[in-house]
Amino acid sequence: MLLRHEGFRRLCRARDLLREAREPSPSIEELARELHISPFHFIRQFEAVFGTTPHQFRIQARLDHARHLLALGEHSVTDVCMEVGFSSLGSFSALFARRLRETPSAYQRRIRRSIQVPGALPAALTPGCLSLMSHLPATAFCPPGSQFSRSVKGF
Amino acid sequence: MRIKLTSIMVDDQDKAVRFYTETLGFRKKHDIPVGEYRWITVTSPEGPNDLELALEPNANPAGKTFQEAMFKQGIPLAAFEVSDIKGEFARLTAAGVAFLRSPAQAGPVTLAVFVDTCGNLIQLYQPS
Repeated sequence: MLLRHEGFRRLCRARDLLREAREPSPSIEELARELHISPFHFIRQFEAVFGTTPHQFRIQARLDHARHLLALGEHSVTDVCMEVGFSSLGSFSALFARRLRETPSAYQRRIRRSIQVPGALPAALTPGCLSLMSHLPATAFCPPGSQFSRSVKGF
Repeated sequence: MRIKLTSIMVDDQDKAVRFYTETLGFRKKHDIPVGEYRWITVTSPEGPNDLELALEPNANPAGKTFQEAMFKQGIPLAAFEVSDIKGEFARLTAAGVAFLRSPAQAGPVTLAVFVDTCGNLIQLYQPS
């Protein structure tokens, strides 16, 4: 698929719109109409560019926003649920738990227990990327084929 | 001092592994759980085997802002050299990869730009 500049710009705009927590949230068909593209082509091109469907992207964006708000610790789980655009606390909690492997309240408790630097975002929201390296087993740096590298599961 | 590791931010590590291995053809070298994330690196089967690309979780809001701004501006965040850019363009488009720029001569190289589905534009180049 070769995207033209205008098509690419439209898809970036769609991503921004899908992140908005406006209510009622526009349907995929309404979004496609706003972007002057057919729903079929919208979904197909969005998936080719962002690796997920517009619907799944919106759900994930809401969960990411929820995780951010929960980590800040200034809102209850119910408030966060409503803030990010879910109407049912039950479905929000179930979806959050299924995707993130812990309930919203458990996630919030766990982040609260971690060390917080006043005025800074919680460490859970700002992973250090390359600093993850410092948590690897020593065997991760053994040359391939060495006795130690073979002993690490998954290598 | 040696360059043995570089990295690219990805919005979803599972999706990134699928794209960088199954679609691009790189090989997974490391995949080690680290807390909520994983330390994942890939290498090219065309070598060198000890030069790794880390697929970094882009969860940091600062990283997201940077990545999205570069993406919207059409600026690639990584470049891979190929020996047959037209062949790669044909292979990847057949696999469903979206290109923003088809192979075209630009000075001493032929360039193409595609989307990695993880929030980045990647440039392919073939020296003339």
